[in-house]
Amino acid sequence: MSFYLIDFLQYTFDGALKGMLYALIALAFIVIYRAGRIINFAQGEIVIFGGYFVFTFFSLINLPFWIALAFSFGLAVLLGLLIERGIFRPLIGQPIWAIVMVTIGLMILLQGLMIIIWGGGEQLFPLVFAREPVRIGPLLFTRSIFWGGISSFLIIFILSWVFEKTRWGLKLTIVAEDHQMAQSLGISVKRSIAIAWMIGCAISTFAAIVLLNGKEIHFSHSIIGIQALPVVLLAGMESIWGAPLAGLIVGLGASWADAYLDPYTGGVMSEAFPYLLMLIVLLIRPQGLFGWKIIERV
Amino acid sequence: MALLPCGIHFESYNQDMGIIRTKSQWVTLIAFLFLLLVLPHILSIRFIAMINTAAIICIAVVGLQITTGYAGQINLGQSAFMGMGAFVCGSLAVNFDLPFWLAIPAGGLGGALLGAIFGIPALRIKGLYLAITTIAAQIVFPLFIMHLPANWFGALLGLKIEPATLGGITFNTDISLYYLIITTTCIMTLFALNLIRSRIGRAFVAIRDNDIAAEMMGINLFFYKTLAFFIGAMYAGVAGGLWAYYIRYVGADQFTLYFSVWYVGMIIVGGLGNILGAILGVIFIQSLREIITHLGPFLVEFLPQVGSAQLWFAGMNVVLGGVIILFLIFEPRGLYHRWSILKTSFRIWPFPYL
Repeated sequence: MSFYLIDFLQYTFDGALKGMLYALIALAFIVIYRAGRIINFAQGEIVIFGGYFVFTFFSLINLPFWIALAFSFGLAVLLGLLIERGIFRPLIGQPIWAIVMVTIGLMILLQGLMIIIWGGGEQLFPLVFAREPVRIGPLLFTRSIFWGGISSFLIIFILSWVFEKTRWGLKLTIVAEDHQMAQSLGISVKRSIAIAWMIGCAISTFAAIVLLNGKEIHFSHSIIGIQALPVVLLAGMESIWGAPLAGLIVGLGASWADAYLDPYTGGVMSEAFPYLLMLIVLLIRPQGLFGWKIIERV
Repeated sequence: MALLPCGIHFESYNQDMGIIRTKSQWVTLIAFLFLLLVLPHILSIRFIAMINTAAIICIAVVGLQITTGYAGQINLGQSAFMGMGAFVCGSLAVNFDLPFWLAIPAGGLGGALLGAIFGIPALRIKGLYLAITTIAAQIVFPLFIMHLPANWFGALLGLKIEPATLGGITFNTDISLYYLIITTTCIMTLFALNLIRSRIGRAFVAIRDNDIAAEMMGINLFFYKTLAFFIGAMYAGVAGGLWAYYIRYVGADQFTLYFSVWYVGMIIVGGLGNILGAILGVIFIQSLREIITHLGPFLVEFLPQVGSAQLWFAGMNVVLGGVIILFLIFEPRGLYHRWSILKTSFRIWPFPYL
């Protein structure tokens, strides 16, 4: 294989795996959105909060691997429950902007809490995945991103199976489609929203492990939540299978822009690409690639 | 709307719609303007600096109130529009030696044009999707500023600006700038108060309440939605221009999403859909900010692991985030609502009913 081809393949795979990470975060976002029509701007903060839980149990308390993992996810689920009970339940039935604003309030509240609890400096995140990269032929992959990419496919597969095939998951899907209908069928909307928040927080914590494995953890990394927004919108806000595909498109686009456009634009294209794509998507097809309903046009 | 005291009634619509309607309102207004005039000679420099910052922010937040509170278009990019104003104003002042009374309006126009461009999607999308579009504006803005040629907007270094001069006066102290800033703020607020009572303001409110119904009544949605963004962003641009002359340095990191969130927080706390609400929100949040700054040394002892550099930021985040959430849950109509209850009960005293 020629040098350029290997280069191209490397960029492609890197982009694809990075896209999977975005898809994972987008998935947490979508699960929460489906249940409560809550567009969660605090998604990135919840990811990093979960990361700090992992950091606490692995690095500060030094628990054995599986116990630490269980505690981290347990605490993340609890956080989800707490957020739903404390903030979103009193706001059921409020106009949409109130929900949007409250997630923005939550976003900065969580940022502040992170600094107060764990300090504002950068700290070393534990190695949950081993450090040495995975080698396939001439290509190298960071191990966390590699396994993260594969496991996000697994998670997406399980979630879509749960949502479409199990009785319990179908209840959540009905809530996603129509609150009033679900309520009149005897399904508790409140409980479904709470469950969605718990699942969302657990996925976020997993995303944090993939994102931060062996790197520094810092509250400012929560910008990943905003970076994943284009993926969510491209996927369509309700579509679980849309997330990996949209993640792929955004990841590949950003990676190729990084490789082939940035030398000419001074590094601006790879960063701006997802947002520009998002603006185009919003203007042409506001419901995203796989969204359910036609958005009310004016 | 607060009720008027007993015995006051108007005979024409013009009287009824006036901003200042009674003698006591005239007296209060004149007393207040006089107070503004002498304030720098009473208060310490530190307070004047606080008022200057608050007054600049006030302009941007009044603009946001027009876009979001009156026209109902969620805008999370106000800080980017303010930045655009500051950069245009700074660039004109540095590269073309334009006097400040031309550079600041030009900055306003620059901010307004950027706002109008990002407001155009509002025609097709609304609500939370619009919030996301404006966030995109906010994130893309510093990227582009930093990668444009350095002699346009200073790229990574930012712009350093000479103090504004008018005749023989140089605006380089807090007190001289106070008069410049307060005058601008008063003019902009008056303009906003009049705008919202005009045909345009009524069109905005109609669009906010129901845009399909508004269109049925013959309101051109494309024009008025873009106009709402244009005017709101123009306020931000003027605020940015003043900011450029006040700080005398403009850099892309002064205009981040974080500040946009602040501005939105201010109108939520103050009350959506009211100019006075915007001002109350600015005063409330800026006061909280000062209180935290003063509590800083005490908090550092209390929470040693955080580090003093980060503590202010963290404390501010917790307070602001908490305040936004609490207001949305417990008093979604904001401080303005409380204020108008208070005012009405004062006016109709001794009768208990509102």
